[in-house]
Amino acid sequence: MTNSIRELEDAKVIFVIGSNTTEAHPVISYYIKRAVKKGAILIVNDPRRIDLVKWATMYVQHKPGTDIPYINGLINEIFKNGWEDKKYLAEHTENPDEIREWVKDYPVEKASEICGVPVETMKKVAEILGKAEVANVCYTLGITEHICGTDNVKTLANLQMVLGNIGSYAGGLNPLRGQNNVQGACDMGALPNVYQTYQAVDNPAVREKFEQAWGVTGLPDKPGYMKPTMLHKALTGGTKILYCVGDNPVQTDPHMANTIKEIEALEFFVCVDIFPNLTTPYADVILPDCAWGEVDGTFTNTERRVQMVRKALEPPGDARPHWWVLQELAKRINGYDLGFTSAEAVFEDMRKTSTSYAGITYERIQDIGLQWPCPTLEHPGTPLLHTSGNFTRGRGLFHHTVHIPPAELPDDEYPFYLSTGRRLWHYHSATQTRHSVGLEEIFPEELMEISPVDAERLGIKTGDTVQATSRRGEITLKAWVTDRSAPGVCWCAFHFVEACGNVLTIDRFDPVTETAEYKVCAIKIEKVKDGTEPVSWAARQARP
Amino acid sequence: MDKTMLEKIFSDAIEREIESFEFYQTVSQRVTNQDVKRTFEELAQEELGHKALLTRFREDPDLLTKINIPSQDYKVAEATELPKFDINMKPADAIALAMKKEEEAVKFYRGMAAISQDEEIKKQFEYLAGMELGHKTRLENVFVEIGYPEVF
Repeated sequence: MTNSIRELEDAKVIFVIGSNTTEAHPVISYYIKRAVKKGAILIVNDPRRIDLVKWATMYVQHKPGTDIPYINGLINEIFKNGWEDKKYLAEHTENPDEIREWVKDYPVEKASEICGVPVETMKKVAEILGKAEVANVCYTLGITEHICGTDNVKTLANLQMVLGNIGSYAGGLNPLRGQNNVQGACDMGALPNVYQTYQAVDNPAVREKFEQAWGVTGLPDKPGYMKPTMLHKALTGGTKILYCVGDNPVQTDPHMANTIKEIEALEFFVCVDIFPNLTTPYADVILPDCAWGEVDGTFTNTERRVQMVRKALEPPGDARPHWWVLQELAKRINGYDLGFTSAEAVFEDMRKTSTSYAGITYERIQDIGLQWPCPTLEHPGTPLLHTSGNFTRGRGLFHHTVHIPPAELPDDEYPFYLSTGRRLWHYHSATQTRHSVGLEEIFPEELMEISPVDAERLGIKTGDTVQATSRRGEITLKAWVTDRSAPGVCWCAFHFVEACGNVLTIDRFDPVTETAEYKVCAIKIEKVKDGTEPVSWAARQARP
Repeated sequence: MDKTMLEKIFSDAIEREIESFEFYQTVSQRVTNQDVKRTFEELAQEELGHKALLTRFREDPDLLTKINIPSQDYKVAEATELPKFDINMKPADAIALAMKKEEEAVKFYRGMAAISQDEEIKKQFEYLAGMELGHKTRLENVFVEIGYPEVF
């Protein structure tokens, strides 16, 4: 995030797109609700009528996979009415004349035809954004989980630069990053092309720095594969061994049947996890991991805040902290002793070779976390980025983005859009949450959300059993007839092995990030049998 | 306090600002990146501003006591390696180079204060160090915002 979470409650205009905030980021949603209570204008843009809509000043229901034409249409309207921030464009951006021309390809009338949002609604949204002193943009996987996810993000960046909202308190461009520590995992270099704090592996100076720091030679000089490529290459022998930590790819990757095929093609597969899951049966070796309450360490949240987590319980059985497991492996594979004695020792080693974390120590974050960049022990951390209007490259560069339709659209054979995501009561592949009796009681099985219009046409009511089929597989589950879904759009999650959305999803990826297009594929829905009991608990899904 | 000595302190300080102005002006003409060029041009103009300020201080040294001195030194410049000048250097390196120059200026005036026997002269050097610390802090804030990109 360019800004901090707490700033949200002081925002005057909040533009949420592709984020089911109340369910996926419930804490952050409280700040949005507080802002609304204080008079903020909230514009919720989502193909689904998510619960946050109940708090919205305006709800915009665009078709899945049409974010670029929708946003470009708004930018065009902003320019057309002279609502752009001329001073910001002149002083802090490189090519404002280009973006002005590019978005002329998306007059609101044309954009409206593509994205399905009425022209007048688009004009109203553009006016609110264009006349706002500052607007805050929040987005999540509804933006990134498309084959054009990178361009979706760039288009939002274009919007915020046109409006001069980058670097402003309670404004900015704010990806609400998933899970408690996905930001931290990236910061630590759990990526194929960078060491910790984004130091590129193919930069000779960086490589030399780490070789000196660690007393080794021959560190790789080119990036590794991203996860989808890793798995694809298993089929051709390019990937022979996979070491999988805290991940359940059979359930969470798209096109489950293909994922299984790829994993089965590996010569050696190691899983490290806290419980058996859908992936562990394919492992040659399973190593027991510690759960979050059983280890010391840090989490870095979406606002770049590094926070302490402390061990509260002894891990069960043979479970060990994962840093210890990796150290033992290094010893046994090539006799190299990393020499760590604690999680703090690992953090210190990382901190001293990092850039933006160099000033963060366990001692400094005992009570309240620090937000990076925090480059020295004296530095207080950085809650808000780009206040000077400067970017790493100098002036902000607008990118030309055009509508890229989803890889698979509904047709006669598979007439519905399927979009997938997360529910409030379960977490990811539910390896943890389905071990909770309480959560199982609250939300015990997956439901296919279907619009009342489609349900009536197909003779389906809530609680009926339906079969959802895509070109990749089929699942059987109960229906939930709800106006959360627009006509023609169905939705389900991937938390439940018994009816996992990823049996159906398509394995097509954004070419830059290799993020899968979880948000759009085509399915058909058929009723299997009438429901025999009410599914009254479905309403618990939503909590305003 | 010896007035001639005080004038010399300010004249030397002005000379340092002129040297910095000339440095930034020269490098701004050599770099290829337009943003870096602009950054160096702006830094050159800032040095002219500092020169004007010091000229006023030379005329009325009491004004120096009224400048804002940062209450904290985050020592970002000290933790950053001096980048080599390169015609292809990036904006963050340009700012790093400038903040390292300000760090040197702070050190210089603090050093002068430390060896000064005359309490009044010592105080003037400390004020000058404080002024340069303000410049360093401003550049450090810019650097922190652009020097640690989340690029992967």
